[in-house]
Amino acid sequence: MHIAVCVKQVPTRDWQPRLNDSGTWIRDEDASFEMNEPDAYALEAALRLKEQHGGDVTVCSAGPARVTQVLREALARGADRALHVQDDRFASADVYGIADALAAAIRDEPFDLVLTGLQSDDLGAAATGVVIAERLNRPHATIVMDVQVDGGTLRVKRELESGWFQWVSMPLPAVVTIQSGINQLRYATLKGIMAAKKKEIRTVTPAAAIDARQQIARLYAPEKGKKTHLISGSPAEAAKELVRRLREEARVIA
Amino acid sequence: MDTLVLWLLVLVFAGAFVAQVAARVRLIAIAPNTFEITHPATRVARVLVEVFGQRTTIRERPIAGVAHAFVFWGFIAFAPYTASEFLAGLGIVDVTDSGWFAAYRILLTPCAMAVLLGILFLLVRRTIIRPAGLGTNVSIESVVIALFITTLMATFLLTWWIDESTTAGRINWWVHVSVILGFLALIPGSKHLHLVFSPITWFLKSPTLGNLPNLDFEKEEVGLETVKDLGSKAVLDAFTCVECGRCQVNCPAWGAGKTLNPKTIILQTEEALLAGTRDRALVDLYSAQALWQCTTCGACENQCPVGVEHLPILIGARRGAVSNGHAPDYLGAMYNNLERRSNIWGLSYGEREKFVETAGLETFDPAKHDVLIWLGCAGAFDADYQKSMRSLFEILRAREVRFGVLSKERCTGDAARRTGNEYVYQELATANIETLTAAGPKTIVTSCPHCVKTIGDDYRTFGYRVEIVHSSVYIAGMLNELQPDETAPASTVTYHDPCYLGRYGGTVDEPRALLARMNAQVNDPVRSRDNPSCCGAGGGLLFADKEEEPGTRISDMRLTELQKTGASTVVTACPFCSIMLKGAQASRQADVHVVDLMTFVNGRVRKL
Ligand code: SF4
Ligand code: SF4
Repeated sequence: MHIAVCVKQVPTRDWQPRLNDSGTWIRDEDASFEMNEPDAYALEAALRLKEQHGGDVTVCSAGPARVTQVLREALARGADRALHVQDDRFASADVYGIADALAAAIRDEPFDLVLTGLQSDDLGAAATGVVIAERLNRPHATIVMDVQVDGGTLRVKRELESGWFQWVSMPLPAVVTIQSGINQLRYATLKGIMAAKKKEIRTVTPAAAIDARQQIARLYAPEKGKKTHLISGSPAEAAKELVRRLREEARVIA
Repeated sequence: MDTLVLWLLVLVFAGAFVAQVAARVRLIAIAPNTFEITHPATRVARVLVEVFGQRTTIRERPIAGVAHAFVFWGFIAFAPYTASEFLAGLGIVDVTDSGWFAAYRILLTPCAMAVLLGILFLLVRRTIIRPAGLGTNVSIESVVIALFITTLMATFLLTWWIDESTTAGRINWWVHVSVILGFLALIPGSKHLHLVFSPITWFLKSPTLGNLPNLDFEKEEVGLETVKDLGSKAVLDAFTCVECGRCQVNCPAWGAGKTLNPKTIILQTEEALLAGTRDRALVDLYSAQALWQCTTCGACENQCPVGVEHLPILIGARRGAVSNGHAPDYLGAMYNNLERRSNIWGLSYGEREKFVETAGLETFDPAKHDVLIWLGCAGAFDADYQKSMRSLFEILRAREVRFGVLSKERCTGDAARRTGNEYVYQELATANIETLTAAGPKTIVTSCPHCVKTIGDDYRTFGYRVEIVHSSVYIAGMLNELQPDETAPASTVTYHDPCYLGRYGGTVDEPRALLARMNAQVNDPVRSRDNPSCCGAGGGLLFADKEEEPGTRISDMRLTELQKTGASTVVTACPFCSIMLKGAQASRQADVHVVDLMTFVNGRVRKL
């Protein structure tokens, strides 16, 4: 089975985002980066499928040169080869820009299954996987907790609301987005890291124009503020007023 | 005629001896070379104390140790006698008629009696008393050796009554000589090979406990995978072991009824080497279960009387397993935490920054500060241990010690190193060394003994040298400035020596001095000071599921030992000991209070 895993490189959670001078993007030259965590679970799911059914895993990412860091990491964890759609403009591209580029790069390869994380830790649009599926004209499933392959059929367990699940079947090839935390991620082994140095990272150049559907007018950091209210009156009155405010203003109780 | 027969016998038996020793020496020679001879003076001094002084042999088991020392010293005293007898018997040179030889024989007589006394006691101990460390079977070979030694001494003493020129005298002489020859042939195949190897093993044993070679990734070193990867010191160790079981009885894992037995590890190594199964995977040889049960407490290595080093073997084999992806799940998760968040718990760096801010800590600047405080994963992220760190800060501030912390600190990599993930360890170590070198502290103070060991010993092998001291040592240095608060009630406490502080670091007096200064009466538990029993956290076992721990929980066992002192307060000085003992206390609602040393001191010191 040939599996593709689409991963994104995102700023580490430890980095305090700062805006660039025009206020339209983060100052990513200061940031440190890591693999988007939901994508790491997709990679783990792919590696487990490979262990069960044989085949190979190709890890794909669209982004500037720095993205090779996460591709190497994926190779060290057991992916067989990597595909890098390289362009600096992907650093701030929207869902369509990224999905188009990835779909174009993997269209001509005989993948049976394309996996990606449910969403990215930075933008959190949760749409890239679905758009890739549309572009490739493949069936897809989202928020997947379990992936089973039986011959040419894919059976997946989707997470619904309120603790409900849904099992869906579809023919391969297909696209699936993986929910975070469904498996335990393997660590990068020394042997894997050594082997990764010898694995291929194929760089492809994207189409000249990136079809952006979004324009970022301005970014804002959420403002942190503390306000203290002292509720006066007798204890009984104050308690009543506190409950009212918690319910109506803070909306933390129903 | 006698001379000719003796020549023949000597050639046959000495030949058998040499051939058997040579086979083992060859196995040592073809093993990857791990012999180190740094600090030669220390090494020579240790050979004198340990081999000729029999320090560890006696310290661990005073009665059997002294009995053994008698036999050993007797052997040395007898060496010239035996040599003279053989030289005479072989017709080379005869000094046995000289006056000084007669005097020497008189001096040897009490020695022979001491050896007899020693060996008979050891024989009784082995066949009748049979302590657990010696295993369940009585070793026939040991009994034969003991009888040999008895015969040697008896035949020597008999020479006072039987004239050598009579038939009885000749028989006596031949018995004496044959036993020596038999001994020679028996030595190499038995644990008595330690007679030949142990001085060398002691000389080659690392002067620092738990010394591990750094893997060189450029040379594609991945740790020990199969029998043939075992280094020359490990092979020498396997042939030197006397199967005394001191390692076993001191091992917390064995004591708690787990699979791991450090003595078995060494015997399995010897067996595999002699069987020539060089491609046998070490995880299979030792069993994965045993391999991951070691807390790296170092008790085995420290109590071994012949200089065997278990940790390079155990951790080396872990490295081989980890490099192939065979780490237990709980460690895989911890490795990911270290890789992604640079701390063992995988918490966001912002958590540390919050603590640094709320505790009012400044960023270290060598121009402004006397010392750098190394927080460590526990000090930076664990809410409970942060309290202990705040106590330390209060003590320091009250005495106007100026200190700062790094703006970015990563885990030292201790847990990665001791569990065999050398890649993650070296990544962390390199990054930390870079930060530390840039910050330029002269003295680092930390409350984590594992950080002391890793930065102080392990980083040194990368060329980074700094003075790093445990907070107990630093605060004890200001003993005169610490006045106890007289209103605090007198109390009896017991002190749990953390393995990495007491055994690895040799820091045993400073914590006790602080406790005494605070008017606490300290009752030591069994196993304390430089041979404490472990809390069960080391070697990555902090992260293992305690509910699934086979046998007794190590932390439970230790808490019981501490409770037996009758003290209502257990003081310790390591974040991991603290977590383990508090866990053990809580899980069975034990009627005892566990507290970190800094918190204890700060709670009782008179506020300035
Ligand atoms: S280091 Fe400690 S736990 Fe490990 S084998 Fe030795 S005594 Fe046992
Ligand atoms: S390794 Fe050392 S302590 Fe353990 S049985 Fe052998 S000689 Fe004794």
